[in-house]
Amino acid sequence: MQASRARLFKEYKEVQREKSADPDIQLICDDSNIFKWTALIKGPSETPFEGGVFQLAFSIPEQYPLLPPQVRFLTKIFHPNVHFKTGEICLDILKNAWSPAWTLQSVCRAIIALMAHPEPDSPLNCDSGNLLRSGDIRGYQSMARMYTRLAAMPKKG
Amino acid sequence: MDSDAEMPMSSDEEMLDDEDYYDYSDMGEADEEEEEEEEEGEEGGDGSEGGEGDGEGDSDEELVGGDYEGREAEGSDEVVSRREQRYIVLTEKDINERQEEDISKVAAVLSIRREEACVLLHHYKWNISKLSDEWFADEEKVRDIVGLLLNGIDFPNSSKLTCGICFEGYSSDAMSSAGCDHFYCHECWEGYISAAISDGPGCLSLRCPDPSCGAMVLQDMVNKLAKEDDKVRYARFVLRAYVEDSKKTKWCPAPDCTCAVEFVSDGNYDVSCNCKFSFCWNCTEEAHRPVNCETVSKWVLKNSAESENMNWILANSKPCPKCKRPIEKNQGCMHMTCTPPCKFEFCWLCLGSWAEHGERTGGFYACNRYESAKKEGVYDETESRRERAKNSLERYMHYYERWASNQTSRQKAQSDLQKAEKEQLAKLTDVFGIPETQLKFIIEAWSQIIECRRVLKWTYAYGYYLDDKVKSEFFEYLQGEAESGLERLHQCAEKDLQAFLPPAVRPENNEPTTPSLADFGEFRVKLAGLTSVTRNYFENLVQALEAGLEDVHSTAQGTTSSNTTTATSKKAGTKGKSKKPLARTSSDNSEEGWPCERCTFINLPSVDACSVCDKHRY
Repeated sequence: MQASRARLFKEYKEVQREKSADPDIQLICDDSNIFKWTALIKGPSETPFEGGVFQLAFSIPEQYPLLPPQVRFLTKIFHPNVHFKTGEICLDILKNAWSPAWTLQSVCRAIIALMAHPEPDSPLNCDSGNLLRSGDIRGYQSMARMYTRLAAMPKKG
Repeated sequence: MDSDAEMPMSSDEEMLDDEDYYDYSDMGEADEEEEEEEEEGEEGGDGSEGGEGDGEGDSDEELVGGDYEGREAEGSDEVVSRREQRYIVLTEKDINERQEEDISKVAAVLSIRREEACVLLHHYKWNISKLSDEWFADEEKVRDIVGLLLNGIDFPNSSKLTCGICFEGYSSDAMSSAGCDHFYCHECWEGYISAAISDGPGCLSLRCPDPSCGAMVLQDMVNKLAKEDDKVRYARFVLRAYVEDSKKTKWCPAPDCTCAVEFVSDGNYDVSCNCKFSFCWNCTEEAHRPVNCETVSKWVLKNSAESENMNWILANSKPCPKCKRPIEKNQGCMHMTCTPPCKFEFCWLCLGSWAEHGERTGGFYACNRYESAKKEGVYDETESRRERAKNSLERYMHYYERWASNQTSRQKAQSDLQKAEKEQLAKLTDVFGIPETQLKFIIEAWSQIIECRRVLKWTYAYGYYLDDKVKSEFFEYLQGEAESGLERLHQCAEKDLQAFLPPAVRPENNEPTTPSLADFGEFRVKLAGLTSVTRNYFENLVQALEAGLEDVHSTAQGTTSSNTTTATSKKAGTKGKSKKPLARTSSDNSEEGWPCERCTFINLPSVDACSVCDKHRY
């Protein structure tokens, strides 16, 4: 408990210090609970998520960093490895390939990388994965773009 | 007292004759044994004379005692050597020694550290020749795969380092790395190792926490940095891996037993551990001859399928197609990866290997292999088979009850055996003055009962799955005979013995109520006779059932070869179990055999005295 608190505090300080270091990621710690974080990540360029801002929710276990944080998308996203309804993410480093050397920041980076390079072989969103597997890149991109516009972009007007 | 002493003497002589006959005519055992029995009898006589104990008698007894021991030793040696050809029981100490031996050998040959040899061997499943082949072919590659760094990294110059896990600064002597240049503080190492160890045997291939680094965490590192109980658990995983990685060794499945059994030759898989638990090496269920492993697993599954637990597992989990551990899928995609060490990747829908999936199977998540199998009716058939099984529930209950009751009888017999060993023999020695070494026949009887109950139990599983009608009839007959033969033996060991034990409350030293030594001699002959008769019958039964009741066909076709038992001759013959009941030539088909009044052995009509105990027919 103490160790996880100390480590999270370090991460918090790091985030404050390097706020502008990575313009794509903005990590915010819950005011009253250091085990609850949210993050805002920018959709990577040259992907259908470009221009969108996606919100992630982190729930951090007491054994952190020995155990991985639980992360899910709060913003709806059409992506093969993200559950369309719950926002659950299928990413190896959040499961069995976790290492305590990862940080919340690097997890965000890994998620951005996943957005740019979906893994249609292990889909949580079968419709999305099917489009990619069948080679319908255009179909996939237009669906993903539509949901990015609907859910991840500020409403105009 | 003198006259009393005379009696047993004469009875023993009679007994001696009995055994003479017994040995030659029935058992056909070695002469050596007969001689022993003879002397044994004499000894009994000597013993009962008790106080008088003249010099000669004493020396006689000693001689006999020595001989007896000798025979025992010889006998058990023989058993052991026969057993050792098939399998070897390894204690934890043996396993440790073998493992150490392998490790030191590899460490010496490859000139590496012991810990390095250990992870290499684990990686190569303790196959030394494969390891050294690949090592000498391309050492660098092997090192790379396993994560053994060639040169230790020089200690960093700066005195203060930041731990990559807790991000605190520490002086470099409070930090360690797995031989790479990723340093972590000792507290974080402890937690990292502990988390890996509680995750299971996967900790044996634990790597540096840095995701980009493959350096292996070796056992000396664990011993330096982990908590005391984690070190112990890690060492246990190392030991377990040695047994579990090897295809030739398996753990004894008995609870609390720490032995492993190495199986050497093929043939029958029944092995018996040092802890006395007998099990089938192939499927690690309890020993189940004459039934084969497949039938046993069907039967065991069937038995437990009735329970809620199994229903739940069946409904909510599937066994890993490779290692068979049940897996519950609670979330996520159809791409399943079994936990280490199995790590098999498979499709949840069709249980096929994930590697075989792709466009061919219609995509990764709507597995067509499953859908098409369903269309073709493969899965429907499983369903309807399940239905049919429900309908045969009553039939099943019949077999199950008998299976279970033999199981219970067997457990009772096991506790009775212990009672006999602990109390009864001593009492008998008290009453009759016979040394315990000569009361072994009681122990043998009980051991035989336990073994027979086990066989009998499994014959019910055998019967349940036997669907040939002719064979079924024949089988039921044999089973019935086995059952009644065993009942006789069990009854004799359980009830008849009671008469010779001093009653719990003894009114006075009432000599007349105590059975004489002569009676006990008779009991001994009867019990020993029944034991060997039953043993032979069951041995033959097991062989016949394992051969799938081959000779039944000829019976069904009506051919009467000399060693084929026909339905009528069986009735006369099978009870004469001492030879080969199932392939027995009945010399006389016309007349029924006669049962001996004393030992219940069914004798051939042509003999006038019992072939087992020599009691006359009339």
